[in-house]
Amino acid sequence: MKKIIAVVRREFVERVRTKAFVISTVLLPVFMVAMVLLPALMMSGGDRTSRVALVDASTTNLGQRVSQALGSEKIGKGADAKSRYTVQVFPATGDDLAKVRDGLIAETGFSSSKKKDGWNGVLVLTDETLATGKLAYYGGNVGSLEAMSKLQRVVSSALTGVRLAKSGVDTALLKEAMKPADMDTTKVTDGKQTGQSGTESYLIAYFMGFILYIAILIYGQQTMTSVIEEKTSRIMEVLTSSLTPFQMLLGKVLGVGLAGLAQMGIWGGTALVLSSQRLPLAGMFGMSADAAQSFPIPSMPPGLLVVFLLYFALGFMLYGALYAAIGAMCNTIQETQQYAIFVTVFIIVGFFAVFALIKDPTGPLGVTMSYVPFFAPFTMPVRWSLTSVPPMELVLSLTLMVLALLACVWLAARIYRTGILMYGKKPSWGELWRWIRA
Amino acid sequence: MTAACVRIESVTKRFSGHTAVNRLSMEIPGGGIFGLLGPNGAGKSTTIRLIMGILEPDEGKIVLFDSPRNSRALSQRIGYLPEERGLYKKMKVLDHLIFLGETKGIGRADARKRAQAWLERLGVSDWAQKKVEDLSKGMQQKVQFAGALLHEPELVILDEPFSGLDPVNAQVMKDIVVAIAAEGRTVLFSTHVMEQAERMCDRIAIIARGEMVVNGTVAQVKEDFGGRHVALGFTHDKARAANILADRALIARVDDYGASAELQMADGADPEQLLAALVREGVGLRRFEVVEPSLHAIFIAKVGAEAATAHAGVAA
Repeated sequence: MKKIIAVVRREFVERVRTKAFVISTVLLPVFMVAMVLLPALMMSGGDRTSRVALVDASTTNLGQRVSQALGSEKIGKGADAKSRYTVQVFPATGDDLAKVRDGLIAETGFSSSKKKDGWNGVLVLTDETLATGKLAYYGGNVGSLEAMSKLQRVVSSALTGVRLAKSGVDTALLKEAMKPADMDTTKVTDGKQTGQSGTESYLIAYFMGFILYIAILIYGQQTMTSVIEEKTSRIMEVLTSSLTPFQMLLGKVLGVGLAGLAQMGIWGGTALVLSSQRLPLAGMFGMSADAAQSFPIPSMPPGLLVVFLLYFALGFMLYGALYAAIGAMCNTIQETQQYAIFVTVFIIVGFFAVFALIKDPTGPLGVTMSYVPFFAPFTMPVRWSLTSVPPMELVLSLTLMVLALLACVWLAARIYRTGILMYGKKPSWGELWRWIRA
Repeated sequence: MTAACVRIESVTKRFSGHTAVNRLSMEIPGGGIFGLLGPNGAGKSTTIRLIMGILEPDEGKIVLFDSPRNSRALSQRIGYLPEERGLYKKMKVLDHLIFLGETKGIGRADARKRAQAWLERLGVSDWAQKKVEDLSKGMQQKVQFAGALLHEPELVILDEPFSGLDPVNAQVMKDIVVAIAAEGRTVLFSTHVMEQAERMCDRIAIIARGEMVVNGTVAQVKEDFGGRHVALGFTHDKARAANILADRALIARVDDYGASAELQMADGADPEQLLAALVREGVGLRRFEVVEPSLHAIFIAKVGAEAATAHAGVAA
């Protein structure tokens, strides 16, 4: 046991000390900060108040109504929210429409460095607008689909209002009638509300599967490489004289696994801090709180977090052990590729099972897969997050995983023990079988 | 110290296609230096790996310290320097030694103290915080040597410990090996450098093609080899000695080194006869001495023919 700890410590310390580890550990949180801030920054670009020149060539004072509608649009919620648009109405007749319009357009669409913009855009309303809904907008921001659809939405609801009012519908009634539907979704577990929304469950499930997938691919390969490295550097000849292959491999799998978990922990911690502190953070970068909120980071209930971490750690090490077994079979990295593909297939099947599971969390496929140790780390957290799983099933599935992990290390150790002095010779499947039984 | 440290009983190890060790039996008594000699491919390293439990024998068994446990369970009492040296290249020297100590069951703090002491002793303490890969090959070998001895094992097994070392470092290692034996511990080392074995070993075993050729104390081996041996040193006119050296009635075997030669006299022939003959022919002599057979001569005589046919490519 002491010896295993020595191996674990060596693997962990040596891995954590490498430049690659330090750099990747630091870079990802930086990347995460950017991920949180960038979309918010980008969206806040569209959230500046834009100045609109409204050319009203209608005979029904349409400009006034549209101007009112635009003026009541706010950015964000609350009392101190800024107006989305500042509107100035320029009345025009059919004759001088072109002149007024072109005059305004001449003051529009400058980049700030050359000359100050007179207007962000020019909106032209005519009688035809009310009749057929046709109107024109000239502006520097026509490429922004979001800004355009927002503008169009506001104008069109203003038009609807004008049309209905013209037919004698009461404006108060009208406002009442046009309230949009707003649905909140909440997940229920064991007859209790869990406080998560449906989208969040889905997002978390997907996200967890993805993280595990990436982590296994990166760190599993590292376990394999490190087994191979021990062989090529011949250090294992000294080690095998004092350690059993089981001790060596278990130590290795745990050590590399811990290094990976530590890194994930740092990343996860950063993500948590970021998501809880994103409002002050956004403030630091001079963004409105609302802009920051537009990038949602789903919160994870503690129960799910525990389940996820358990399965993550176990799954991670189980696959690490599988990779170690492959490393034990081969002498070069190139050789490992043809075996590693089988493991990759397992991972991919597990990962894609998540999608099937999201559709039908309680189906036989999902239940079966959450017992199979190689798929459980992907499927069980998803099942847990989408439905309620009986504790007994959870315990059973976890026990199976621990057993599978030990079995895998044992198997790898058998192969390692026999394969250890076979250099430059790749075992056939028959030989492999003999090694395991030997 | 009469109990056998290692007892090898009729051990056979086959690799696909060839037999590396064939029904080998030998006993390594406790204390002293035991030399395992043999040509390349004789099975020295295989024998050592079998002792270390890295390989399992196909037949026969190996008993260590008269204990039923295998070498891994006894690894705290055994130090091992493999033929092919290997260390973690990215690890710092001191950390590496501590780790090796830990795998032998020494506590971390203790391992650190011992590692520092060993680095000091080997004159590489300045390199303690350097990575292994920054060290020269000779220095790496010293570090690994220290790693094998850190836990003060009763039995030290060294596979070709002096190969690849310069004379100064070889001397340092030799002194340490001798010191270990002087403490009453047992050293088993393999080599194919006979002069070294002759000077250091109390007992030797010569194996060839996986089989025992000679086994015993050095004195005993020489005695058993028997015959009278003469060492010659030539100054001039060596060519005139050719006929005399070829006379099988006088000389049984010649080991010609050019400027010198070691001869085994034929049964019933006298060294005086040889000297008289050489003087008569006018061969210039620098040295004429009746000697014990050297291990080298014994080695060549016993395994010369086999060594010539054994291939270096076969794993030793």
